[in-house]
Amino acid sequence: MDGDSPGTASVRATYDRIADHFAKTRAYPWPEVEAFLDDRAVPPGAPGPTVGLDVGCGNGRHTELLAEQCDRALGVDASRAMLATARERANGGSETPGARGFALVQAGAAALPVADGTVDAGVYVATLPHLPARERRRASLDELARALAPDGRALVSAWSTEHDRFDAESGFDTTVDWTLPGGETVGRFYHIYDPDEFRADVAASALELVEFEVSSGNCYGVVRRAD
Amino acid sequence: MKEDLMDIICCPVDKHELELDVEERDDEEIMEGTLTCTECGEVYPIEDGIPNLLPPDMREEAPA
Repeated sequence: MDGDSPGTASVRATYDRIADHFAKTRAYPWPEVEAFLDDRAVPPGAPGPTVGLDVGCGNGRHTELLAEQCDRALGVDASRAMLATARERANGGSETPGARGFALVQAGAAALPVADGTVDAGVYVATLPHLPARERRRASLDELARALAPDGRALVSAWSTEHDRFDAESGFDTTVDWTLPGGETVGRFYHIYDPDEFRADVAASALELVEFEVSSGNCYGVVRRAD
Repeated sequence: MKEDLMDIICCPVDKHELELDVEERDDEEIMEGTLTCTECGEVYPIEDGIPNLLPPDMREEAPA
């Protein structure tokens, strides 16, 4: 833990606290994630059974999409309360007819409990900025690389300085309030990435960028294992 | 969790295989039990059907 950065336990406690409300306001998948999954979530000719992994799955809105594309899907989150909100979807929830179930595991992004080379399609969206130290963020990218199959691909996203609400040119740490229905606010730690820094962190890891774009104020990278 | 998850998961610390010990099962779903690393011996609980595979330093960290 350095400076004013909170520990990972603090970020986890925040999401444990806001989970129910947060989950209700995040019902739908992001279009960028849908596009990635439609494009090539699972590499053509990948030997089955194919595996999808959602790191920082929250309420499971993207894990559910992975489950439609892969033979098996796994959602990972550090917050137990968030996982509880994902449970209905995980069981093939009644709100989504025909939805395939997926597995849930409580774990940290920088210490993935996923065997080497098993993941054909990965989603690591809106989670990286919640890791309070750069070394841990980079470690999480290495972990994603380790979990990916040789032909596997993942989509990584991070909130960016390009977003209208930020003035800064370079990446910085901040706290973004979440307002609960009663008006109470809970601060959430974020590292806001500038696009160059995002590319640099990916380049410094065991991943390499296949595609990169800034969309809706987020950096998006399609990544694979670096050779 | 279902038993076939064992093909995918591993110890978050040393990435070795885990050994499953079931305490309570509900149909195919393992509700309570433990996962023990075959290398380092760390024991991870399965609680309410969801394995807690946080690394020990994150599990024991007191929430701020």
